[in-house]
Amino acid sequence: MTATAFGVLLVVVSTVIEGFGQIFLKKSALEFARRRFWILCGVSVLIVEVLLYSGALRFLAVSTAFPLTSLSFVMVTLLSKWLLGEHVTPLRWFGVGLILVGTSLIVAEA
Amino acid sequence: MGERFPLRLVIGLAVAIALDTALQLVWKTGVAALPETSSLWETIVAVARAPIFVLVAALMAAQLVNWLKVLDHADLSYAKPFTSLGYVTVCILSVLWLGERVAPLQIVGIIIVVTGVWCVSMTPRATLPPREAGE
Repeated sequence: MTATAFGVLLVVVSTVIEGFGQIFLKKSALEFARRRFWILCGVSVLIVEVLLYSGALRFLAVSTAFPLTSLSFVMVTLLSKWLLGEHVTPLRWFGVGLILVGTSLIVAEA
Repeated sequence: MGERFPLRLVIGLAVAIALDTALQLVWKTGVAALPETSSLWETIVAVARAPIFVLVAALMAAQLVNWLKVLDHADLSYAKPFTSLGYVTVCILSVLWLGERVAPLQIVGIIIVVTGVWCVSMTPRATLPPREAGE
């Protein structure tokens, strides 16, 4: 595996981890009795994400890594629907799709 | 405002975007100053030793406290897309403060992101009634 491919893999994994971290934080709002537990889970997972992403920047240019991080918007929406049962309307999906394209354009040209 | 956009939620999302913007700028600065190495472990050690990452950690802590408040009032899949406006503010600040030139495609990107966030804002903010306890 090349250094670039490894960097891309690290960023993609970090967006999946971001998704789960956000799910845990939302769980803390939904299950008030276990709020601290879910916050601890969320923070732990997000710390792993920070380390992975910082590591990925050693293998990738920011202009490559940053557009990939916008995948986290898709991950969060997918996991919110699957794991939290949130009602994601077609308009919300459309908005998330636009955000994915738009943020990629902004950071790819930066 | 009103039912669809409670003031508390609007302020929470605005603060989240502001903190995200500051975090991105400080984090970028910190990472750029790290020594060149291909070792993940050496990178982690360098991050732990760089003072600027204390500021990154402080911003992350503030972001966490604010974000938990936001999630008390809205679906995750509703609130998270709003943070994409942080990409827009970073881009605009880079032009205003750092004098960077904005590319035509970036302007298109900004318009697309704002349109996307507008679409999300038009959807119901909570699948279940938000927990209002402690208010």
